[in-house]
Amino acid sequence: MLELLARSLEASTIFLFAALGELVDQRAGVLNVGLEGLMLSGGTLAFIAAQLTRDYLLGFLAALAVGALLGAAHGFFAITLRGDQVVSGMGLWILSFGLTTYIGNPYTGPLGLERIGTWLGLSPFVYLAVLLVGTTWFLLFRTGVGLAIRSAGEHPGAAEVSGINVGAVRYLCVTFGGMLAGLAGAVYSLSYNPVWNYNFLMGWGFVSLALVFFSMWNPWLLLAGATLFAAMWQLSLSPELVLPGILSRYIWRALPFAITIVILALISAPWFRTRWGLAKPEALGRPYGG
Amino acid sequence: MRVGPYLLTVEPRRTSSPLHGVLTAVVAIVVALVLSSVLFLPAEGGPLHAYRVVFAYAFADRYGFLATVHRAIYLLLCTFAFLVPFRAGLWNIGLPSQVYAGGLAAFAVPALLGGPDLTTPPVAPGLLVLVMAVAGVVGGAVLAAVAGLLRARLNVNEILVTMMLNSIFFWLVAYMIKEGGPFMSATGEGEGFSLPSFLYAPLWAGVPVTALLAVGAAVLLDGLFARTALGYRIRAFGLNPQAARYGGIDPLTLPILVFVVGGAFGGLAGYHYFAAVPGVYKIPGNYGYYGDLAFYGIICALIARGSGVGAVPVALLFAGLSLGARLAQGQLHLPFGVDYALLGLLMMTFVASHVLYQYQPVWRPAAEPAAPPVSADAAEG
Repeated sequence: MLELLARSLEASTIFLFAALGELVDQRAGVLNVGLEGLMLSGGTLAFIAAQLTRDYLLGFLAALAVGALLGAAHGFFAITLRGDQVVSGMGLWILSFGLTTYIGNPYTGPLGLERIGTWLGLSPFVYLAVLLVGTTWFLLFRTGVGLAIRSAGEHPGAAEVSGINVGAVRYLCVTFGGMLAGLAGAVYSLSYNPVWNYNFLMGWGFVSLALVFFSMWNPWLLLAGATLFAAMWQLSLSPELVLPGILSRYIWRALPFAITIVILALISAPWFRTRWGLAKPEALGRPYGG
Repeated sequence: MRVGPYLLTVEPRRTSSPLHGVLTAVVAIVVALVLSSVLFLPAEGGPLHAYRVVFAYAFADRYGFLATVHRAIYLLLCTFAFLVPFRAGLWNIGLPSQVYAGGLAAFAVPALLGGPDLTTPPVAPGLLVLVMAVAGVVGGAVLAAVAGLLRARLNVNEILVTMMLNSIFFWLVAYMIKEGGPFMSATGEGEGFSLPSFLYAPLWAGVPVTALLAVGAAVLLDGLFARTALGYRIRAFGLNPQAARYGGIDPLTLPILVFVVGGAFGGLAGYHYFAAVPGVYKIPGNYGYYGDLAFYGIICALIARGSGVGAVPVALLFAGLSLGARLAQGQLHLPFGVDYALLGLLMMTFVASHVLYQYQPVWRPAAEPAAPPVSADAAEG
């Protein structure tokens, strides 16, 4: 049972890193629906780099680099060219889905390195996650940089007038978001489940995207959501621990996705929206300038 | 950007001709193919030889071409499943789930009549085939309606909902056909039961009737969007939902409608691949591959710029390429996944071409640096 808890906490860091990056993106007004693609690319390149160099650090660096690169590419399309952000995000996802399947295939199988150790019984990423959530919250809500980010997402015109370079802020945020998505993929492929398989995420990125909406763009609520979701996810992988013999294991695997839809519907219901739904960045998904 | 005496800027394109659209599509595909030749570098005989093998199998070989046509019908139906909601500005990326739902609903008909034990038709077989196809269509439509309903009533992001449905139905199919599931084959090899031969969809020169539906739908869809009030409403909603609302277009029913129509095509695609293509006639253990292939529908629709008829040659080309790539893999000892890589590259070149389509480079003579203002003293002197 304790092991299940430790596992689900590690799983929660994957959701969290990806979603936290996306949260910062969205706070600055940029929507990246290609989160899953960034995670796939980061995870795959991290796996290959770590296996070739037999060095975890290089693996994680590769993930951060490719995440940043793809994030910036999304920025170029969304900010500089003022293109449709959904088209670009979907493009990044399908591009990554296709290319990682091809590039990673020769590496299919276990990583073959000694597992990353634990610290006080937990994956080191759990501590990093809490630290990052705290830092991000502080940065977003207690500093001038955070104010600049949030104003770029709420009212870019007003931000620009008050001397904030909206384009630069948004670029910074999408690149940072991309790095965190890459990191999330690497935590999956190097630590949580170090066995490469094509399309190994199977929806983790999209669930992370949904978590950002659940969190109402608040890092602490995101932490809570990611933890709860990861526990549910872990349970769906090994339901026999709690409810042996009930339902097929395949049905259990489908459950977290079904619950995601139900929660999405609930938080979109009118009574919820009027009480809670004011947090959405006003200019989310809208290009600025021109 | 300043280049010599000229200033190069990128500006939004104000007008665009259909020819321009076709050209951008062709350029996107050609660039993707050129980029893909990198994938073929490890091939025996080099990339050009590899392309020759791919095209020769997909389009010049009798069996290969037939397989290409079967796959093209599938891709085309998936394309329409994406295209109809897309014209209304909505993203249906739940193509795999609708394909699975269509397949499951179609196979529910023989399953209810005995499944693997069904050896003699209880009623006219032709009627049963029709019921299966309709069940597939309804299955896909009902599933997609969930996304449309949530979007229309609660404004829930349809990308997330349809993607979640993909995962749910992926596992649901696993449950149905594996480990003692209700649709498992009699031999229990992790695949669905095979259809009895009297339930095979009618063939014409080796091509199932679904081909007629796919090509007919291409023409009808273009007519719908170009000439009918409903098509106008869908397009208007896609361009600006708020303005469309003031124009009397009901934002509560339109998303549901486009998702139902799109899902119907997705369901038909599922019926087609699992119940009408010769040599399959079951939900195979590798159904996930067909789900992945459905994503080609997204690119097809995007590259064809929402035109049903325009999607026909694109689907045919992609079908041949993905199929030929699989063959080349074995024959030329290429790594797995060329067909997936191609999917990714096409998406990338599409996004790039999309920019080219919307923007144009403009050259202007750079303004001379302004002459320094003449000082008052000098003027007076």
